[in-house]
Amino acid sequence: MMTGNLFLSGAGQIAMAMLLAAMVMLLWRLAKGPGAADRVIALDLLSVLVVAFLVILSIHTGKSTYLDVAIAYACIAFLGTIALVRFIHKSGRKSGLHPPQSAPDSTKGGSDD
Amino acid sequence: MPLFILNIVFAAVFTLLTGSARIGVFMFGCILGYGILWLSSPLYKDTRYFKKLPKTVNLITYFLKELFVSNLRVLWDVITPGHISRPGIIGIPLDAETDLEIFLVANLISLTPGTLSVDLSEDRKTLFVHVMFLENVAAARADIKNGLEKRILEVMRS
Amino acid sequence: MIEYLTGILLIIGSFFCLVAALGVIRLPDSLTRMHAATKAGSLGAGLLVIAHAVFYQELGISLRAVSIIAILLFTAPVAAHLIARTSYRSGEAISDRTWIDELKGNGGWPG
Repeated sequence: MMTGNLFLSGAGQIAMAMLLAAMVMLLWRLAKGPGAADRVIALDLLSVLVVAFLVILSIHTGKSTYLDVAIAYACIAFLGTIALVRFIHKSGRKSGLHPPQSAPDSTKGGSDD
Repeated sequence: MPLFILNIVFAAVFTLLTGSARIGVFMFGCILGYGILWLSSPLYKDTRYFKKLPKTVNLITYFLKELFVSNLRVLWDVITPGHISRPGIIGIPLDAETDLEIFLVANLISLTPGTLSVDLSEDRKTLFVHVMFLENVAAARADIKNGLEKRILEVMRS
Repeated sequence: MIEYLTGILLIIGSFFCLVAALGVIRLPDSLTRMHAATKAGSLGAGLLVIAHAVFYQELGISLRAVSIIAILLFTAPVAAHLIARTSYRSGEAISDRTWIDELKGNGGWPG
C-alpha cells in the first residue's frame, strides 16, 4: 500500500514535468510560428494541456474540485479558439492579403458581411 | 429513444438500491437493465433500440481501435529524425446527406489519426480530406468509405 | 493495485501530450501540425481523465470525467476543421512533400 502511494506520487511528478516541457515547446512555437494558423494551433493545444494539468493536479493533491475547473476551462478555451479563427478569417479577407477568387474588393472599411 | 432513458433509469435505481455510488455498479445496472428490456422486447412493437445499440457499440469500439493503432504512426514520424510522411489532399464522395450525418463523418475523420477533414464542397457532395500517410489514393478513399462512413450510416439509418 | 494502474495511465497520457507538442514543433507545415495537435493532444488528455476516474471510482466524479472527455472529443475536431480551412484558404505555405491536391481550384471565398 505504501509503495503504491509512493509510485503514484512519483508518476504524478514525472507527468507534470512532461506537461511543463510540452508547454515550453508550445510557447516557442507561439512566439516563432510563421503563420497565424500555427499560432492558433499552439494556443489550442496549450489549452488542452492546461486541462490535462488540472486533472493531474487533482489526482496529485487529492482534491477532486479541480475537475470542475477543468470542465469550465475546456468549454471556454474552445470559444477562444473559435473567436481567433473567425478574426483571422475576416482580417485576411479585408486586408487583401489573400486575394479572393471571385471579385477583388480592396476598399478599406467597406462593409462586407 | 425512450427505451434508452428507461435503461438509464433502471441503472440509477439499481445504484440507489445497492447504496454504493460507484461507476462499476452503475455500469452493471446498465447491462442488467438492457437484459431486462431485451427479455421483455415483445412488449415494444416498433422500436429499433435493440438493433441500434449493438451497432453504436460496434462503431465506438472500431473508432477507439483506430484511434490507438494509427496514433502510433504519427508518433513514429514525430519522434524519429527525418520525415516519413507523404501528405496529400483527396476528395471523398459522400453518401451522407443530412447535416447530422455529414457532421459525424467529418468529425470522426478528423479524430482518426492520419486524416483531417479540410473542406466541404459547395454542393455538399465531396469532403476534402488531408491524409498524412498517403500511398494509394483509391485505397485510402475506399478505406474511409467502407470503414468509417459505412458504420456511421448503419447507425444513423437502421 | 489502483495506484499502479493510475500511475501508468498518467505517464502514458502525458507522454502523448508531449508527443503532440513535439509534433507541433517538428512537422513541416500547418496542416500536418494539426494532425499531431488534435489527435495526440486529445488522446493524451483523455487518458489522463480516465486515470482520474479510475483513481476515484465514485459515480459523480466518473460522470464529470465522461463529460470532460465528451467536451474534448466534440470541440477538438470542430476547431481543427475551422483552423485547417482558414489556413488552406488563406494560402499559407503547404509543405512540398504534398504530392496530390484535389482541393486546389475547388474551394473559394467566401465559405
